[in-house]
Amino acid sequence: MWKRLFGPDLRREWYLIRMPDGPMKDYYRKPIPWPETDYKELEYLCIDLELTGLNPQTDEILSIGFAPIVNQNVVLSEAAHYLVRPSHALPEESVIVHGLTDDRLAEAEPLEDILPHVLKALSGRVLLAHHAPIEIGFLNVACERIYGYPLLTRAVDTLELEKRNRQQRNQPIDGGVLRLAKAREVYNLPRYRAHNALVDAVASGELFLAQTAHKATKGETITLREIMFRNK
Amino acid sequence: MDIELIEIRDFLKIHHPFDLLPDEALEVLPKSIEVRYARRGTILFQPGEENGFLWVVRTGAVETLDPDGNLLARLSEGECFGVRAILRGVAVNRCEAIEDSLLYLLPVAEFNNLRDRYPQFAFFFAPMGAERLRSAQEHSHQNGHEDMGLVTTKVRDLLRRQGPVTIEPETTIQQAAQKMSKEGVSCLLVLKDDAIVGIVTDKDLRNRVVAKGFDIAKPLSDIMTANPICIDAEDYLFDAMLLMSQKNIRHLPVMDAGRAAGVITNTNIVQKQSTSMVYLVGDIYKRDTIEGLQDVVKQVPTMVMNLVNGGASAHNVGHVVSTVTDAIATRLIQMAEEELGQAPIPYTWIIMGSEARHEQTALSDQDNGIILDDSYEEAVHGDYFRALAKFVCDGLNACGYVYCPGDVMATNDKWRQPLSVWKRYFAKWIDTPEPEALMLSSIFFDMRALHGTESLYDDLRKFVIDKSTGNRIFLSFMAGNALSHQPPLGFFKNFVLIRGGEHNHTFDLKHNGVVPIIDLARTYALDVGLSEINTEDRLKAAVERKVISQAGANDLLDALEFISITRLRHQAKQIQNGQKADNFMAPDDMSHFERNHLKDAFNVVKTMQSALASAYT
Repeated sequence: MWKRLFGPDLRREWYLIRMPDGPMKDYYRKPIPWPETDYKELEYLCIDLELTGLNPQTDEILSIGFAPIVNQNVVLSEAAHYLVRPSHALPEESVIVHGLTDDRLAEAEPLEDILPHVLKALSGRVLLAHHAPIEIGFLNVACERIYGYPLLTRAVDTLELEKRNRQQRNQPIDGGVLRLAKAREVYNLPRYRAHNALVDAVASGELFLAQTAHKATKGETITLREIMFRNK
Repeated sequence: MDIELIEIRDFLKIHHPFDLLPDEALEVLPKSIEVRYARRGTILFQPGEENGFLWVVRTGAVETLDPDGNLLARLSEGECFGVRAILRGVAVNRCEAIEDSLLYLLPVAEFNNLRDRYPQFAFFFAPMGAERLRSAQEHSHQNGHEDMGLVTTKVRDLLRRQGPVTIEPETTIQQAAQKMSKEGVSCLLVLKDDAIVGIVTDKDLRNRVVAKGFDIAKPLSDIMTANPICIDAEDYLFDAMLLMSQKNIRHLPVMDAGRAAGVITNTNIVQKQSTSMVYLVGDIYKRDTIEGLQDVVKQVPTMVMNLVNGGASAHNVGHVVSTVTDAIATRLIQMAEEELGQAPIPYTWIIMGSEARHEQTALSDQDNGIILDDSYEEAVHGDYFRALAKFVCDGLNACGYVYCPGDVMATNDKWRQPLSVWKRYFAKWIDTPEPEALMLSSIFFDMRALHGTESLYDDLRKFVIDKSTGNRIFLSFMAGNALSHQPPLGFFKNFVLIRGGEHNHTFDLKHNGVVPIIDLARTYALDVGLSEINTEDRLKAAVERKVISQAGANDLLDALEFISITRLRHQAKQIQNGQKADNFMAPDDMSHFERNHLKDAFNVVKTMQSALASAYT
């Protein structure tokens, strides 16, 4: 009851009144996608982050890739890929995992300069990611730090969606079937060899298109609420 | 900003026609693309709908169907579709995902931009398949096709067997001229101690002797061209031609291992293809035993191979091979008449099928018959013609033109009949076109007189034309029959392949390739009463009579030539490898170029088949 009253939609309106002009306010100018809308009518922003670790409070974003879904198409002309300049030297293990070196990242821009691009692309759209809590968490922390306001959004988590779908169909969810590459295989999606934030963002977008195409079998309307990530 | 869409770029890069784009275009291309997912059964666009994209199958498979639901193509990974819909503004066909598919969509604006900037890319999407096909043929001719014969044939191959006609330098001019006319040659090689010291030609005698009133009792050395330019027997004809045009000479002495081996002339070279055939045919008429004819026929596969490798068109090859077969059959009939005596009554030996159309490309089954004069009496003349037919058909079989499996041969009593009976046959086929009649029609409507009293054949021909011209009922059956052989478009990578058996994973370039075109041309010919039999001639004549458009005919002719020459090249390769030539080709054995243009050719046939269907049925 309390939560519904002060849901993101109301809080957004409240922020719009209070907030100084800037990228964050611009982000809030468009309404957050309404949960009862037909999922097909909404636009999405597929996002993937590469990180130094999994803790939003202590770890850093290394790169950001995104691509929108408009009219059920992943539109690559609006796709983007940014390297983020870290505030500390990189721990060795993340250099190995992502193949990113300090040298290359030194040419990258600071997160402050990149975040406005992300917010602009995300405004009015549903955030989409494979294992979305990570993306939501890190972007939220970044917004709080840079603008002093949280990032309110609605999101689709293709990992959670896949898990739910499999549970509904009584299919196993072990053996790594929920991992992006494995989940894509089930839907006859191609295997991508290269990995960077953009490729993975596009890959999760394609997975979403496949998941929803398979869910909407008989032409019935599916609302965002039915596929939306449920924040605990 | 760094767009890292390597995956998409790398995918496009290995698929035709994107492989034709330069790296800088491929680098930015992914940025224009939209990605769509279609579940199996999803209709991507329908006739009448606008289509704003070039579609590329990334994974899965898509089918295009015409408005009647006939399968036009099945597209799999890496193949594009939607081009016709772009060019026409609206979709003509229906496209449906038949597997769960991931599709790349290239917006029209970017597609047009690429076509404007990269002609080779635009070429792939040229408006009509047929137009593309035509350029493809020009392209393969450009690739030295026409000149192949010159490049692959050695000078040695053109020399007379008897060696050169030679003379000593001390001989008088008159004696030399006498030798030339006696030997029937246009030039003499002047030899001293086996070395070439000069050459004398007809032209020299005219210009240096007669025109100047030069003393004909003087030695030849006074007027000969001394130390002429020579060519080696191992050189290629191309070199010979080059040398002759560079030096502006028409006779070129040939040296073989240091000795004079002969002279080649430019007429020699130009007529090379036809002369080899003329020799072969001339040879046939000199043979008077079956064994002798067998020897000649043995050369046919090699001749076909050489013609094809030498860049002859399928039309030419068909003509040459049919002419050889004609000569063999004619020679056999002559031999039969020599043995049995003159025929007691007039008759015409008729031939049917590909030989009649001048489209035979290999030793095939024999199809023949006899039209007898109506004065024929079985009791009196029966034995003679039975014997004649047996002699010729057995002879043909022995030469490799095996007995017709359908027994369409003069030895079959049914096909050795007086003119009036033949007329009755045709009347029945035309009036009551039953399935069997239609099958026979496709054989007997391609008929030609080979030997004997031609008026019998002309009479029958006229009767048939009068009866069939404009006969809608009969024509609609013929049209239906013409549609019974379909181009192999549809399944695996667009091609319908034979499954299982000896010819697994191939398609039949004869029955699903050339036959549908032959059937189309025959139907048009029958409609307007054309006397032409050759498919090309029929289509050209049909244009004049306005039963088919010029564009339609051109498309079909190009398709026919492309399919035929593909088939011939396939057969030439088999002959070269010592295999038996057949009509079954596997798409896997073709180049990308061949596969794509074969698809175009089949598409042309499909289009013309539906045009025929709507015109006659």
